[in-house]
Amino acid sequence: MLLTGKNAVITGCLKGIGRSTLETIAINGSNVWACALAPDEEFEIFCQDLANENNVWIKPVYFDLSDHEQIKTALKQIASDKQPINILVNIAGMTKDALFHMIPMDQMKLIFEVNFFAQMYITQFITKLMVRQKVGSVVNISSISALDGSYGQLSYSASKAAIIGATKTLSIELADKGVRVNALAPGVIDTDMVKAVPEDIIMKRINQISLKRLGHVDEVSKAVLFLASDLSDYISGQVIRIDGGI
Amino acid sequence: MEERLLKGKNAIVTGCTRGIGRSIVEIFAQNGANIWACARKKTEEFEETLQLLSDKFNIEIKPVYFDLTDKEKMKIAVRTIMSDKKDIDILVNNAGITYNALFQMSTIDKLNEVFDVNFISPFLFTQYIVKIMLRKRSGSIINIASSAAIDGNPGRSVYGASKAALLCATKSLAAELGDQGIRANVIAPGITKTEMLSSMTEEVINQTVINTDMKRSGEPIDIANAVLFLASDLSSYVTGQVIRVDGGM
Repeated sequence: MLLTGKNAVITGCLKGIGRSTLETIAINGSNVWACALAPDEEFEIFCQDLANENNVWIKPVYFDLSDHEQIKTALKQIASDKQPINILVNIAGMTKDALFHMIPMDQMKLIFEVNFFAQMYITQFITKLMVRQKVGSVVNISSISALDGSYGQLSYSASKAAIIGATKTLSIELADKGVRVNALAPGVIDTDMVKAVPEDIIMKRINQISLKRLGHVDEVSKAVLFLASDLSDYISGQVIRIDGGI
Repeated sequence: MEERLLKGKNAIVTGCTRGIGRSIVEIFAQNGANIWACARKKTEEFEETLQLLSDKFNIEIKPVYFDLTDKEKMKIAVRTIMSDKKDIDILVNNAGITYNALFQMSTIDKLNEVFDVNFISPFLFTQYIVKIMLRKRSGSIINIASSAAIDGNPGRSVYGASKAALLCATKSLAAELGDQGIRANVIAPGITKTEMLSSMTEEVINQTVINTDMKRSGEPIDIANAVLFLASDLSSYVTGQVIRVDGGM
C-alpha cells in the first residue's frame, strides 16, 4: 500500500498499460479518476469491483483527447469534486504507422493533438491545482521510440519525444513547488499494439532485449507506482526506460 | 499494513557503516529482506544497530567485515557468505570513497586508490556473487555511482571517472546476464547529505543545491528508496539503466 489516501488522475484507462496502472494504483490504496475515451459497461463494472475490493473510490471520466471542449468539461468535473490531486498519469495515446514520405500532415497533427497537446492541456489544469497544494507527482508515458527512433513511427516517436522535453522543462519549473515530473519510456510491451506486429519482427526485437522477452503491462504500471509514490521523493525530470535492456 | 517489498529475499549490501549504506540496510530490513551487511570495521554501535533492526523487523542481518582493497579478505568474506548456503537475490555495491582535486593536481596514487575502491573492488566482488546468483538464475544487482559520473563536474575527474567505469560495466553486465534472469542497474545520486559532502566547500554545495530543480539536497533515505525499487520486483523489466536520484539537474 504505497499510495494510501492519495488521489490520482489516470488517462487511457480502458486497456493495456492504462488499465494495469489503474489496477496497480487502486490496489495500493489510491482513489482514482479513471479517464477513458467513451462510456463502456465492462469498464464501469471493472472500476466498481476494483474500488470495492480495495476500499477506494474510482470515478470513470470520459472524454475524447482530440476534443478540447470535452477535455475541459471533464477537468471541471474532476475539480468540482474538491479533492486534492496527488498524482497525474498521462497514458492515453495513439499511433498510426507510416513511412515518413507517406504521412498525411493531418494525420501527424492528429497524433500530436492526442499524444502531446491534449496531455499538456490536462497537465496545465491539474498541475495548477498541485502547485496550490504544494505537492504532486506527474508521470508521463513516453516511449523508447522517442529516444531511439523507430522505423515507420515518425509521428508517434516525435510526439513522444515532445513529451520528454516537456517533462524536463516542467520539472525545472515545478519541482521547487513540490510537484515532481518524470517520464517512463516503455520498450516492447505485450499489448494489442504489439500483437498486431508480425511474429518474425517481434522475435527479432526480442533478441535485442537483454532479458530476451517482451514486457508485461504490469511491469510498466509497477514503475508508474514507484514514480507516483514517495519512494521517488528526490527524483524529478527523469526519463526511465522500462525496456528489459535494449 | 506495512509494505514489505523484499519479503523472503536475501541481500548483500556493502558500505553499511553510515550514510547511504546504513539507510539501505534500514529500508531493506523494513521491507523484509535478510541482509549480509558489509563494512570495513567492526564497531559496537554498528552491531547494536543491526541487532535492533533484525529484532524489530523479524529478519536476519549478519555483519561481514572486510576492507575492499584487501582482495584476500574479500575472498574470505565471500566464503563466509557462501557458507550460509543461502540464495543471494540482491547485491548492492554501495561502498566507495570520494576525492576532490583539479585534474592537474590529481595524483597517480589517488587515482589508483579511488579506482581500486570504487571500480575494481565492486567489479571483483560482483564476479564472485554473480556466480552464486547464476545458480538460481535470478537476481538484482544495484551499483551506486554518482551524477558526477555523467555530468563531469570540476574537481571530479578521478571520482567521476571511477564511477563512470562502474556505470559502464553495469550496462555490459546487464546485457550479458539478462537472459539468465539477472538484472543490473545503477543509481546515480546527486548531492546527498552524507559525510562525503564534507569534502566539498559550502559554496560548491550551495551552488549545486540551487541548480537542482527541487532546490534541496537529497537524504540518504531518498537514495535507499530508489535502490529498493531496483532491488524489488517493482522493477522486473528494468535492466541496464541509470536512474538519477538528484532532485532534477
